[in-house]
Amino acid sequence: MSQDDISHLVLLALFEGGNEYWSSEYLAYGASTLLDRITAGEYVNQRKNGLKLIATLKLLDRDYLQDQVESAGAFVITRKDADWPQRLDDLKAPPVALIGRGLRSTLCALNNSLSIVGTRNPTSYGVRVAGDFAAGAVDRSWSIVSGGAFGIDSAAHRGAILAEGQTIAILGCGVNSVFPSGNDRLFREIVETGVLLSEVLPNVHAIPARFLIRNRLIAAISRATVVVEAAFRSGSLRTARDAAEIFRPVMAVPGPITSPTSDGCHRLIGERTAEIVTSIADFMELVGPLSE
Amino acid sequence: MPLARVKSIALLGLRGDIVDIEVDISDGLPGYSLLGLPDAALLESRERVRSALQNSGATWPNKRVTVSLSPAWLHKSGSGFDLPIATALMLAQGLTPQMDLNKAIVLGELALDGSVRSIRGVLPALLSAAERGFTTAVIPMGNVVEAEGVQGIKAVGISHLRELISFIEGGAIPEKINQISEPNPFQPMVDLSEVVGQERARYALEIAAIGGHHLLLIGPPGTGKTMLAERIPTVMPPLSQTQAVEVSAIHSVAGALMSRSTDSRTPPFVSPHHTTTATAMVGGGSHFIKPGACSMAHCGVLFIDEAPECSSGVLDSLRQPLESGSVAISRAMGTVTFPADFLLVLAANPCPCGRFNGKGRTCTCSSLQIRRYLQRLSGPLMDRIDIRSFVEVPSRTELASSLVGESSLVVRERVIAAREIAAKRFSGDDWFLNSRIPARELRERFRARKEGMAFLHTELDHQRLSARGYHKVLRLAWTIADRNGVTSPGLPEVESAYHLRQGVEPR
Repeated sequence: MSQDDISHLVLLALFEGGNEYWSSEYLAYGASTLLDRITAGEYVNQRKNGLKLIATLKLLDRDYLQDQVESAGAFVITRKDADWPQRLDDLKAPPVALIGRGLRSTLCALNNSLSIVGTRNPTSYGVRVAGDFAAGAVDRSWSIVSGGAFGIDSAAHRGAILAEGQTIAILGCGVNSVFPSGNDRLFREIVETGVLLSEVLPNVHAIPARFLIRNRLIAAISRATVVVEAAFRSGSLRTARDAAEIFRPVMAVPGPITSPTSDGCHRLIGERTAEIVTSIADFMELVGPLSE
Repeated sequence: MPLARVKSIALLGLRGDIVDIEVDISDGLPGYSLLGLPDAALLESRERVRSALQNSGATWPNKRVTVSLSPAWLHKSGSGFDLPIATALMLAQGLTPQMDLNKAIVLGELALDGSVRSIRGVLPALLSAAERGFTTAVIPMGNVVEAEGVQGIKAVGISHLRELISFIEGGAIPEKINQISEPNPFQPMVDLSEVVGQERARYALEIAAIGGHHLLLIGPPGTGKTMLAERIPTVMPPLSQTQAVEVSAIHSVAGALMSRSTDSRTPPFVSPHHTTTATAMVGGGSHFIKPGACSMAHCGVLFIDEAPECSSGVLDSLRQPLESGSVAISRAMGTVTFPADFLLVLAANPCPCGRFNGKGRTCTCSSLQIRRYLQRLSGPLMDRIDIRSFVEVPSRTELASSLVGESSLVVRERVIAAREIAAKRFSGDDWFLNSRIPARELRERFRARKEGMAFLHTELDHQRLSARGYHKVLRLAWTIADRNGVTSPGLPEVESAYHLRQGVEPR
């Protein structure tokens, strides 16, 4: 691991993801220069927590951070790497770096990838559609991106794995923590055939806010996003809005109007945020020409 | 004659054992000893018998009285031995019978004034007595109705000890006080036509009744889950003679026959509250082993409302009876087996607050709560549930509509017809319901047609169906085929079965 990589780890330890100010500072100066500027006190007057940052930075042990990543069997991906997912740079607050675990080669497959998101409490209809869409996309040599939650996320990964495709799970916690723990087996399978990604260091716990921040990565990293089932207040709607903000195609699968888990999808379609898709063929029609 | 012997019956579960009641009156200090492992109620019989004898003109011997109940090792309980003890006491004091009391059994509780009170368990006791070749039974007048279902035994109902004396002395059979009303073999109180709309749930209910498939109804409060479940017995075929007797015997042991006429052919409907304990569900008790709710529902419907609210273990205690059709309860006094072959119907709200339905916007539950709620029904139990059906809020057109849905009678006729088709197919086999086809037979003899099997195999390949689910869908498909009058299930039947099992759009 290069010194630059470790500098990135220090930055990840210092800031939560999704902070526009620090993202832009990082993009302007690079990792090690930014760290030097913080230590030199450049931000003491500009940021409320400027002094605190200097103190925290002093406490961070570079070897320890490196060891954390290595002992988790993880790797660091930064902008210097050829396999950096460039679509992430469309975000207002792109991540400083990513931590990955699994097959690093999967990152190349992100070029042609589809995000499938939705509720954690799907109906059997939602599970079926998510699995079918994932498998259908894999059959057309697309890869699948989703979160690590129960429900639609898991169904999408399972569909992709069953169709022997590549699947990428973007987590809100460290890549070596299994959250939710019931998905332990699924995560192990993903590590074998795909990759787990996260913008937090290994061993960082899951907190609700991190999942919302993480959603923007799912929206940005793939070519398009499909919402399969989502309730009226659902984190998946946030993902859809994040995707729409950076002009990624957003699609939603309709359901019965009497089903609470399809309400969010209908809302997206009604607001014209999402296109309606009823089959994987519909999806191909909407995004297919771009892939030529 | 200072020694006399009368026969009675001790019940353990549904099995009756003949008990010899011997009374010996000998010289010595006046006293009374009761031998043969009596329980508290039976020990107290001494006071009841003494007062009853004195108040009906008989005498209490001021001598040394020994009452022995044999076999001596058998635990005996309850008040049913009052009457045989009193009878033996009178015989020992010189009452001369005009008949052969060796072929008669005596059962009943005495009141202090000598009148005879009804007891529970008379029907199974009489069944065992008839089996052992007894021809006469002296029982409380209040229990006479129970004897109607027993072949080969003459039941003499008595309401007072004096009547017993005149019967033994002169063979005078007391008149029945309350004439038994005309047999009322099948007259349910509720009807399916009272249910508004609910086409999906009605269909699920009919299929459940045809094939004996266990059913889960999910829906918000107040949509009619209970109403639907209560009407399942009305669409089930009437009980056969043997089934009716068996059901009545169980209810008799539980002392719950009052609510049910013995010749009733309506399948029982039992709905224990969700706070019920596992013991109340499967049966038990320390002095007297009582049948639980699942045995009371034998040949009928066991309905558990708010099933996820049941404490853990209660629902899972049903797994064994669901598998074997009977429950074996072991206690210190012995092991009792009650039949428990019922149709399980569970009802559940979609979430703890119950409003995760329609747009679901008023639901106050978190995503985790919603997911956990139905997960409280354990996997192994859910595996045994063949049909999952959503009960929707009736739409306003349905509520306003004057169109009456099919009545229980119409549906029941279809159920009976479909069951006949199945029975014909299973002639020579030891089951008669589609839900009971063993897995092996299902794979060999009862496959669906080619397109149907292809559908199932695709679902298996996509891991959307487990091996158990595969068998369940196939069984359901046979039921649907029977209902539609198709000789063997094809693609439409298999698809419909699959959807019933998965809980999505059924048709």
